[in-house]
Amino acid sequence: MAAGGAGGNSGSGNRTYSFKVVLLGEGCVGKTSLVLRYCENKFNDKHITTLQASFLTKKLNITGKRVNLAIWDTAGQERFHALGPIYYRDSNGAILVYDITDEDSFQKVKNWVKELRKMLGNEICLCIVGNKIDLDKDRHVSVEEAESYAESVGAKHYHTSAKLNKGIEELFLDLCKRMMETAQAEERLKGNGASQSASSRRGVQIVDDEPQATPAGGCCSSG
Amino acid sequence: MATADSGLKPLQNAMKMAKVAIQLDGGSRHKEAYCEYLRTINYISHALLEEAESQNEKEMVAVEGERMLRLAEQCLERAKSFIGKSAEPPELSASAPASSCLSPGQSQPDQTAVPPGTVITNTVPPSDLPVDAECKATSPTKAGHRRVLSEGGGERSPFLPPEVFQRLQTVESQDRSKKGLTPIEEASRLNQKLKANYEARLARLTPGQAYQKTSLTLSLQRQMMENLIIAKARQDALQRKMEERRLRLQEEANRRFSASGAMTAEDQEQRVLYANVLEYEQDHDWPKLWKANMKTNPEDVTLVSGLVSFLLSQSDHPVVRLLRKHQYRVYNRLYPIVSKGLPQSPAVPLRPSRSSHNLLHPETQRKPTSTAGSSVGAQSFNTDCSLSPSLSHDLNTNYDDEEVEEQVTVERENSFEDLEQFLTQLDWAPPHGSMDDTCYDSELTCNSSVQPEQDDTQISDLETRALKEHLKAIVKDIHIAIDQLLSLCLLSFECLNTASSKDLCLASIEEAFFTPLWSALVALFRKVHRERELAFETSSKLYRDASPGDVGVPLKLFPQDPGALQGSYPYESAVQELRLLTKDCCPQRKLECIVRVLRLICACAEDYRCLHEVESTPKTAAIGADDLLPILSYVALRCQCPQLVSECAALEEFIHEGYLIGEEGYCLTSMQSALAYVESLHTAGTHLSADKFI
Repeated sequence: MAAGGAGGNSGSGNRTYSFKVVLLGEGCVGKTSLVLRYCENKFNDKHITTLQASFLTKKLNITGKRVNLAIWDTAGQERFHALGPIYYRDSNGAILVYDITDEDSFQKVKNWVKELRKMLGNEICLCIVGNKIDLDKDRHVSVEEAESYAESVGAKHYHTSAKLNKGIEELFLDLCKRMMETAQAEERLKGNGASQSASSRRGVQIVDDEPQATPAGGCCSSG
Repeated sequence: MATADSGLKPLQNAMKMAKVAIQLDGGSRHKEAYCEYLRTINYISHALLEEAESQNEKEMVAVEGERMLRLAEQCLERAKSFIGKSAEPPELSASAPASSCLSPGQSQPDQTAVPPGTVITNTVPPSDLPVDAECKATSPTKAGHRRVLSEGGGERSPFLPPEVFQRLQTVESQDRSKKGLTPIEEASRLNQKLKANYEARLARLTPGQAYQKTSLTLSLQRQMMENLIIAKARQDALQRKMEERRLRLQEEANRRFSASGAMTAEDQEQRVLYANVLEYEQDHDWPKLWKANMKTNPEDVTLVSGLVSFLLSQSDHPVVRLLRKHQYRVYNRLYPIVSKGLPQSPAVPLRPSRSSHNLLHPETQRKPTSTAGSSVGAQSFNTDCSLSPSLSHDLNTNYDDEEVEEQVTVERENSFEDLEQFLTQLDWAPPHGSMDDTCYDSELTCNSSVQPEQDDTQISDLETRALKEHLKAIVKDIHIAIDQLLSLCLLSFECLNTASSKDLCLASIEEAFFTPLWSALVALFRKVHRERELAFETSSKLYRDASPGDVGVPLKLFPQDPGALQGSYPYESAVQELRLLTKDCCPQRKLECIVRVLRLICACAEDYRCLHEVESTPKTAAIGADDLLPILSYVALRCQCPQLVSECAALEEFIHEGYLIGEEGYCLTSMQSALAYVESLHTAGTHLSADKFI
C-alpha cells in the first residue's frame, strides 16, 4: 500500500485513485455478506485480507483509470454507535445497507444519513442499499418510499441480494464512478498543477504510479 | 605503579610516574594517561605533605619541593587539556549507566498495571538507588540535578534532564567520527611531546647542571613557538580556503533553489542545510559511492534501505545533525512537563526546595524576555515570569495547594501592575507555532497564576487546556521536523526520491527520531488523557472476570466450556500480543503490533467457530466488524493496560496519512473504538447486559 507521497500531476491517465468506503448497517442486514460477495466473486480468496470481512480492498480499472478501494466495515450494534465518526471520517463514499423485510433497519439508515451529512457535508457519495430482495414477499419497506427518500437526501438507491449475487457489482461500479467525478471536480476546483499542500486529510489520493503495473482489475470496467 | 622503591627520592618517583603518563599520552590512551597524571599529582602532594609535616630536611625541600610542585603543575595542565579537548572521557562512562538505569522505555512494561496516578512519580524501583549513586559520583552536573530533585519532595522523574539527553544522543558521534586534527591541534600535540621529552631529559640532569638546564629550556621554548607560528599560518590558510569553499557551496545551493521566487525563512534554512550537505560531500566519499552504486543497480531495493541506515549512522552528516537538533528541541519542551510527574493528590505540601529544582532551568525561565512574545500579554507575562521564576514554576506543579494562594498574593504585591495588565489579556489566544517553547511554559503558569481563587475544577480545566495546547504545539513541531528531515534527506540523495524509496526513507527517519523520544512523548499524552485512562482502568477492574459474552461477543465465537482452553482464556494470544505494544518505541512498529492483534483475533475466532460447527451445520461467514469490535473490546479489557489509551492517541497523531486509509488505519481505528467502548463500560453497566445477544 502506497503510503505518503500523494503528490500527483494531473493530465495523464497514469494514476491511481484511492478511495475509502464505509459500510454501515444494522447487525443482521447482511452487509458483511454483501461485501464478501463483491470481493469474492470476481477475484479469488487472496483479496480477503487476514482481517476477513472487516476490512477489504479491491482494485478496479474504470475507463483506463485505476482505482483502489478500501472497504471499511463498521459495527452495527447500537452501543458502538457513538464510535461511528472515527470510522467514517475521511471517507469518500458510504454504503448504507438495510434489510427490505425490516422497517427498523431502514430507520437506522436514515439516522446514519443525517449524521454523515452533518459530519462530512456533501462531499461524500452515499449509497442506500435495500438488501435481501430474494425475500421480496416479506418486504416491509416499499420501493417508492426508499427511492424517494434517497433522492431527497442526494443519495442513490440500489436493490441487492447477496444470496443471489444481484445488483452488487453495479452498486460498487456506480459508486466508484461517482467518487471519481467528485475527486476530479475537487481537483479542478483546486486548480490543476497547484501544489498539493497536503493540508487536507481527505482520502482522495492521486498517486503517481509506475506504468509497469499489471492490468489487474481490467475485467471490472465491463460493468 | 606508585609502589615507590624505598631507595628512591620522592622526586624521582614522581618523575617516573609522569613518564608513564606521558607515554600513555603519546599512545593516545587518553583515559589512562589522564588517570596517570592525576595519580602523579596525588603522589606529589602526598609526598610534599608528609615532608611539610615532618619538617626534617629543610635544605632539600626548598629545591626538590619546587621542582615537584612544577611537575605537578605540568601534570595538572596535561590533565586539564584532556577535559578541554573532549569533555567526554570522564563523563562518557557516567552516561552509560545513567541510560541503563533511567531509560524510561525499559521500565514502562512494569508500569502497565499500575494506576496512572502513580506511574511517573513512584515507580522508580529501589534497585535504582545504587546506580544513581554511581551516576552522582561520576557525573557532576547530573548528580547535582538528581540530588535536588530527590530532595524536592521525593519527586523523582524517570526522565533524563535535557542536557544529559543531548549528550547521550551525541556520544556516538564523538565515538565514531575521528576527524583529522587541525594544524593548531597537531602543533600542540607535537609541543606536548617536545615538552615531555624536555622534562624527561631535565629529570636526568643532576641539580648542579644549571647551564644545561637553561639551554634546554630555551631551545624547548623556541621550538614550541616555531611550531605554533607555523601551525597558525597553516590554520589561517585552511580557514580561508574553507570559507571560500563554503561560500561557493552556498552559492551552488542557492542556484539550486533559485527557481522559487520569494524566499521564506524556511527556504533560507533549507539552503543553508543544503550547503552543509554539499560541504559534507566534499569531505566524504561515501555519498558519491552510494549514489553511483544506486545508479548502476536501480532495481535493488536493499540498496535503498542500506543507504538510509548508513546515512543515519553517520552522525556528522547534516541530516543526522538536524535530527539530533530537532530531537533535543522536542525533548527540551517535553522535559519540564513530564519530569514533574502526573498531577499529585492535593495533600502534597509545598516544599521550599521545589524552587531549587526550578533554578536548574534558569535558561528556560529567563529566555522569554529576550525572545519577545508576539503580543503584549505574552511580553508582560514574560517579565513577570523572570521576576519570580521559582514561584511560577511551583504553581505549575501544585495547582491545588492552599499555599499557592498565599504565595500568589505576595506575588501580586511584587508585580501587581503586571498581573493587572495580564488579567485584561485573559482571553488572549496563544499564538501557535511561532513561539519559543519557553513561552508555552509561561503560558501554563499564566493560566494558573491568574485565577488562583477559582475553584479547583476550573483550575484543573485550565491546566488541561494548557497541556492540550502544549501537546498540540509539540505534535505540530514534530511533524514539521520530520518533514524537514525527509526533504533534506531527499535533497542529499535524489535517488531516494521515488514513491517507495521515500516511504522507506520516512520510516527510517521516524524510527530514528521517535525511539529516544517516545517515552517522554507518551508521558505527555498520558497527562492529557488522564481522565480517559482512569475510566479505562475503572472498567478494567469492574469487568476483570467478564466473559467474552458479557461484552457482546456472539456465543459461537468463543468456547463456553472453560475446560476447552486448558487454563487459559479466550483470545489470550491476542491479549498477549497487545501487551507488547508499549514495548516498542516507534509508531510504525506499534501500528504493526495492532495489526497483528487484529489478525490474531480473526484467526482465533475462526478456530473457535470451527469448534462450534462440528455439531451444527457448517455455514461459513467471515468475521465482520459486528463480531470484531466486541472481541477487540474484550481483548482490550483483558489487557488491563490503561496506557493503551494514550499510546493509541499518540499513534493517531504520528501515523502517516497514507497508512490511515489502509489495513493499518482500519486496525488503529478499531482499536480506538474498542478502547473508547471499554472506557464507557463502567458508566453504562446496565446497558451492557441489555443488548448482550445482538
